[in-house]
Amino acid sequence: MSRLAIPVERHRLDNGLRIVLSQDRTVPVVAVNLWYGVGSRNEPPGKTGFAHLFEHMMFQGSAHVPKNKHFELIERVGGNLNATTWFDRTNYFETVPSHDLELALWLESDRMGWMLPAMDQEKLDNQRDVVKNEKRQNYDNQPYGDWSERLQAIMYPEAHPYHHTVIGSMGDIDAATLDDVASFFRTYYVPSNAVLTVAGDFEPSATLELIRRYFGEIAAGDPVPPLPGNPEVSATLGGTARDHVRADVPLPRVIMAFRTPPYSAPSFAVVEVSRALLGMGRASRLYRRLVRERRVAKSVVTYVYPLMTSASMLLVWATGFESTEPEVLERALAEEIRALAEADESEVRRAIALTETDLVLTLERTAERADLLSMFELYFDDPGRLNRELDRLRAVTPEQIRELAATRLGADNRAVITYEPLARR
Amino acid sequence: MSTLDRTKAPASGPLRHFRFPDVERRPLPNGLDLRVARLPRLPVVSVNLFLRAGEGALSSEGAGLAVLTGDALEGGTERRSGSDLADGLERIGARLDVGAGWEGTSVTLSCLADRLPDALPLLAETVLQPGFPEEEVQRTQEQHLAAIRQRAMDPSGLANDAAAARWYAPDVPYARPVDGTAASVSAAGRDDLRGYADACYRPREGGLIVAGDVDPTEVEQLALDHLGSWTGSPAPRPDFETEPLTRERRIWIVDRPGSVQSEIRVGHVGAARSTDDYFALSIANMVLGGTFTSRLNLNLRERNGFTYGVRSRFTFRSRPGPFHVSTAVGNEVTAAAVREILAELEAFAGEGPTSDEVAAARDFAAGTFGLQLETAGQVATRVTQLVVYGLPERYYHDYRENMRSVEVEAAAAAARRHVRPQEVQIVLVADADVVRPSLEALGVGPVEVTAPAG
Repeated sequence: MSRLAIPVERHRLDNGLRIVLSQDRTVPVVAVNLWYGVGSRNEPPGKTGFAHLFEHMMFQGSAHVPKNKHFELIERVGGNLNATTWFDRTNYFETVPSHDLELALWLESDRMGWMLPAMDQEKLDNQRDVVKNEKRQNYDNQPYGDWSERLQAIMYPEAHPYHHTVIGSMGDIDAATLDDVASFFRTYYVPSNAVLTVAGDFEPSATLELIRRYFGEIAAGDPVPPLPGNPEVSATLGGTARDHVRADVPLPRVIMAFRTPPYSAPSFAVVEVSRALLGMGRASRLYRRLVRERRVAKSVVTYVYPLMTSASMLLVWATGFESTEPEVLERALAEEIRALAEADESEVRRAIALTETDLVLTLERTAERADLLSMFELYFDDPGRLNRELDRLRAVTPEQIRELAATRLGADNRAVITYEPLARR
Repeated sequence: MSTLDRTKAPASGPLRHFRFPDVERRPLPNGLDLRVARLPRLPVVSVNLFLRAGEGALSSEGAGLAVLTGDALEGGTERRSGSDLADGLERIGARLDVGAGWEGTSVTLSCLADRLPDALPLLAETVLQPGFPEEEVQRTQEQHLAAIRQRAMDPSGLANDAAAARWYAPDVPYARPVDGTAASVSAAGRDDLRGYADACYRPREGGLIVAGDVDPTEVEQLALDHLGSWTGSPAPRPDFETEPLTRERRIWIVDRPGSVQSEIRVGHVGAARSTDDYFALSIANMVLGGTFTSRLNLNLRERNGFTYGVRSRFTFRSRPGPFHVSTAVGNEVTAAAVREILAELEAFAGEGPTSDEVAAARDFAAGTFGLQLETAGQVATRVTQLVVYGLPERYYHDYRENMRSVEVEAAAAAARRHVRPQEVQIVLVADADVVRPSLEALGVGPVEVTAPAG
């Protein structure tokens, strides 16, 4: 396929708000997407989980928007909306029929500029309960639900901003006050710490004018403070870190993670291609060897974290059958990861072909397009990177994969979390 | 520049023209219903081969056979191994997936549009010449059994399975998990899979739906070249009644000691896809529990903080699927949550929605429809529904208008007819010692506790 040609237009308001516009008039849909440069990494000790609790508070109304109106108005026009909090950022997004673009801009600008007048204790208490239920439902009441907490704890030293999870500690959530909400808002929810992307069916110059009207009068704010703790880490773990869990889980599972360069490093492309070679598709190494041929794993999952702060992670996990010994799974994973050094040019081409299809399928969704553009603007000041994503991956050579396997994917840079079922029937 | 009035929500601009994409229908001589939607937006294509090979037609002994057979297709063909098949597809960036459900089996293919001439022959080979090698069949079976085991320990999955068995009488297919039970899956052998594929993977009554940046004439030629010599009709599908297990309201606790939350399912037998009040009922459910600002979510999440979320839904199938409310709540508020759910159901069945609520739901339904047709895969899925449920060719062209014309009386009538609070079965996966006393104190029905296996 020829190169991607997603249109990208950049602007910046006087208050520092960065704007990305990407027009596509083929379907009557428009996506509004905001990335704020704040996430769980900005939480000091004692305040874990606060960025995410704050994200919930952003839906509790603002000076001109009563509580629940945000949901109600967007749903009323048939749109959808949500927000997510992650290590390095928090995003907010609406997808609406294109004739309702202004509604989304009004809602997003009102909470960026006028959130605090609407905050009260009752709303905070209510959302605290919702967050606690979210934790119970998605973590505490789930088999393997504590894996990310365990993984982050051994992958990053205590002083590192990634040492704790996004959901955080419920004790810290309980201790959060309205003052915390106010100071977090004033510190991080400022235009100069945000990117606004509009993608889809709209007219660029009229839309830019609308954005100026709605967001232009919001005060710029100060630069955000440095990260708490010590974000520096060594390139590798310097050994194999382990956590063996006997728990009420249905099947044994081994999670293996490796410290990698951060998402911003040019060599991160090698990590991404390695991940695809290992676990993307049914012709991938782990599926072919562990699932299909050796039948020691019921399923395998591989993942790369696109993390910005000093070091990221490559993660693989294998879920065994009832009778599988966790040690067998672990050994099999280690062997296949070592064998990655044998990957040849044609195998790399397979991985890239599949990545290409997945990227184009992702771009069919206006909301996804907007989300990627916001990310590239916030992280790299370069939304046009979206059109060069595949070139970046195509440039990866088998030699680079070999080098990565040798320097980063061995026993000296490995975290292993093993889940062993309590009841082995 | 005029001053901006922030106190009022901006009004909608002029409605943009929107039309469901045109679909060309070109049935093949062997009975396969080829439909092509041309979407020039991005150079991708999404293909869906729908076969009348569904779980709803299987007896309880054969439960899971359609799912198992579908999943085993990736094990390879008469000509190439599973690994070679995967490699052949992935080298051209094609993704092929097989999924069976109550109505049939769908083989879906996604790839860049210019790869379709290479990818479609591989799809055809996968379905028409399956190899079912012994070791691959065994592997698929092991994976299924492990998945069944995983689901039994996942509170949400366990609640779904337990609830289905309390909503339907034991001989109704919908009473069981769609992918069968450990016993039925263990009993199937390679010959069963081969026999099933031979009997049910047939072109007549099936559909080949292609959506994307393609030319319908070229697609038709490709289909003729690779699927044209395929013949036959699928095995007949027995009809079945959807009797409930009981019409007396009861509480069933599946005991999961140590749970920090209770998974709750409240429901009964609902409506078929062919129900004559489909649009009114869909609108009614949006008001009750189909959206974030629904009555149930505003009550349980926003007002009471009991839960991260609560939804109600009608699962429309060719025979009446379940209507149910689902949520997960903390132990200490379990009984209160059940009480609130029942109160909402009673108010809704009794008084129905208000005209404001119906107006909001209509707007939501009309707007969201256009938002769900962005991708080739979404369009292909909609067109496939036409084939699956025998809906008129222009059904989705009129869909938005039909949703927009639902009146409050019709929605209220649908709520009265299809929501019956006195007949619901209330199923919980919870720590029985903790939640039983307060549930009994509610006095809404007898309470029965079972072990997870029961």
